[in-house]
Amino acid sequence: MTGNGAPRFQEGVLEALSNAPGVSGGEEAVRAILADCAREGVDSMEVDPMGSLVARIEPAKSSRGAGGSRGSRRGGGPHVMLCAHMDEVGLMVTAVEKEGRLKFRRVGGIDPRILPGQPFRIGPRAVRGVIGALPPHLVPRTERDKVTPADDLYLDIGASTREEAEERVSVGDYAVFDTTYEAWGTTRKGKAFDDRAGCAVLASLIQRRPPVPVTAVWSVQEEVGLRGAAAAARRVGPDLAIVLEGTASGESPGSPLEEQYPYMGRGPALTVQDRSLMAHARLLDSIQETAKRHRVPTQWKRPGVGGTDAGRIAISGAGVPSAVVSVVCRYIHAPAAYLDIRDAQRTVTLIWHTLESLKKEWP
Amino acid sequence: MALNGDSTSAEWLSFITSLPGVPGQEEEAARELKKAFRTVADRVERDRMGSVYAWIDGIGPAPRPRALLAAHMDKIGFLVRAIEPGGFIRVTEVGGFDSRTLPGKEVVVHSTPPMIAVFGTRPPHLQKPGDADRPILLEDLYLDCARPEREVRRKAQIGTMVTLRQRPIALLGDRMAAPGMDDRAGVVVMLRTLELLRARRPAWDVVAVATVEEEFGVVCLGARTAAENLSPQLGIAIDVSHGDMPGAREGDTVPLGSGPALAIGGNIHPRILDGLKRSAKALAMPYRIEPCPTGSGTDAMDIQIASEGVPTAVIGIPCRYMHTGVETVEPRDVDRCAHLLAHFLSELSPEWRALEVLK
Repeated sequence: MTGNGAPRFQEGVLEALSNAPGVSGGEEAVRAILADCAREGVDSMEVDPMGSLVARIEPAKSSRGAGGSRGSRRGGGPHVMLCAHMDEVGLMVTAVEKEGRLKFRRVGGIDPRILPGQPFRIGPRAVRGVIGALPPHLVPRTERDKVTPADDLYLDIGASTREEAEERVSVGDYAVFDTTYEAWGTTRKGKAFDDRAGCAVLASLIQRRPPVPVTAVWSVQEEVGLRGAAAAARRVGPDLAIVLEGTASGESPGSPLEEQYPYMGRGPALTVQDRSLMAHARLLDSIQETAKRHRVPTQWKRPGVGGTDAGRIAISGAGVPSAVVSVVCRYIHAPAAYLDIRDAQRTVTLIWHTLESLKKEWP
Repeated sequence: MALNGDSTSAEWLSFITSLPGVPGQEEEAARELKKAFRTVADRVERDRMGSVYAWIDGIGPAPRPRALLAAHMDKIGFLVRAIEPGGFIRVTEVGGFDSRTLPGKEVVVHSTPPMIAVFGTRPPHLQKPGDADRPILLEDLYLDCARPEREVRRKAQIGTMVTLRQRPIALLGDRMAAPGMDDRAGVVVMLRTLELLRARRPAWDVVAVATVEEEFGVVCLGARTAAENLSPQLGIAIDVSHGDMPGAREGDTVPLGSGPALAIGGNIHPRILDGLKRSAKALAMPYRIEPCPTGSGTDAMDIQIASEGVPTAVIGIPCRYMHTGVETVEPRDVDRCAHLLAHFLSELSPEWRALEVLK
């Protein structure tokens, strides 16, 4: 699929980002990939005090009015902050037991039911570990209908003693799902599409000088309370913000129809409202009209569900009109998520053309 | 396949555990195992039920007695039970899973060509209060191939085999986690045993049988039929034993790395057990006794009652997290089991029989 005049979605970036570890608070590897791929195109780039990556890119000279300096709204159009979070849900090692087993706590929203039998990559050296489960033969009848609490689980890295384990892992190490990116048809499978999908969309957008001044923020610590974006928004002080997300599809067999949407493969999902944000109505109108004009299919995200960085950005300083546009993914916060690569390109296309229209409509 | 007698047990485990083969659908596994056994055996054949026989000819005077080794080549998995609107697949299990270990896991649907799928999960954002406190039952789980419904229907059908998709994971201490260690690790023990016996010929003929349908649960079909076919004078099943895990009772498990687990109980002939212990002592090899008060739950159950009765024993490879996607063994234990078996078999005198004539 072509970008319809917009930049192409960079699938290679998505693949690298999905495979990289980056649990909230430990986003370094993800940030390094993004900094590498943004470095050429942007005018300035910094890592803020919390660890978010902030890159500024001005419009091309021809489309910039006189005095189109940093932050200026005269002629250059509104200063737009585009934001995607780098962090993913995962585990943190909290103790090494004397038999070499690792105790852990969850970072971000992970259903404890997906943990038993799951392999992980632990720490900077990507040590492999598994969360075991008692064989069904040995599970007492009274336990079979109970969910094993996450606190009772442990990571087995094969070590027999604390000393052996501590040669390779440390308390405080993060662990990520041991999942490899794969592709078939228009489907892409990988971990952390929430929000590496948004990160890759943003990286794709800034390959080219945008129609308006843009500050790209790849934020930290979204999954533990929308923290990185709060600080970054103050620093950037944008006129408008659009948050790029990987959001949850509702599709599952047997669910009522009204809970099935949004659907993977049916275009970017637009947020009206979630638990953190009322999307700015006029900004949302611009996005919708742009979608119609450029024939990008869109759909609605289920209202009242989830929360994103936009909730923090919107209430930053004197307030920032904000919206959220998402690539719809199945099985986020689980080991293997799916997305439709066409949706990723459509999101790039929609945001690019929205920036064009904002230049005219948002003096 | 480039593996042969020079390959390590870890290499064999890695290759053999990754072959598919739920009970009744062992064709692909059998094809590869035939090739594997040809690298170490005098001859290899398949019986009418599908089990693979690998022979080592003895050097005792003919007619020679026969020892039967059995490890099952089937592994637990699923069958497609229904294809629903949207292309979502429901499955039924073959062999016993704890459904609590399945949500979010990747599988292979063995259609032509195969399809990758995952057990779908509802993210916390979309759950209702209390959802996460209830375990997900197999009948509520579904597979998502992320392909159009018509494509799923064209490729898969009711009964199509599904297996957990998990490449072997190398852990510290040379340990390895993979689905299907139960009982492909036992198959590797047989491969290594035959390789050793080729260099040190026993008096007896030895037939290693990679059996079918152990996990079906009704009968250890391959073991039963092989024992009837071969009328062995001795039978030894090689299977996995529960490794040490928190939450398991003492006595139900053996530590990883502690060597062969020698079963004791009604399914075990005491004179074979004695012989195995003597061999362990001769090799200065550690071993554990695994109490099996009500049966071993292995191929030996059906070998023992085949034809006019066969004296049997069971050698266990310590294995953690059995019947999950991360069954964990230590290849060193696999090697030890093979050395123990090879020593025991090559020491067997041509006259050894379990039958005692009292008068």
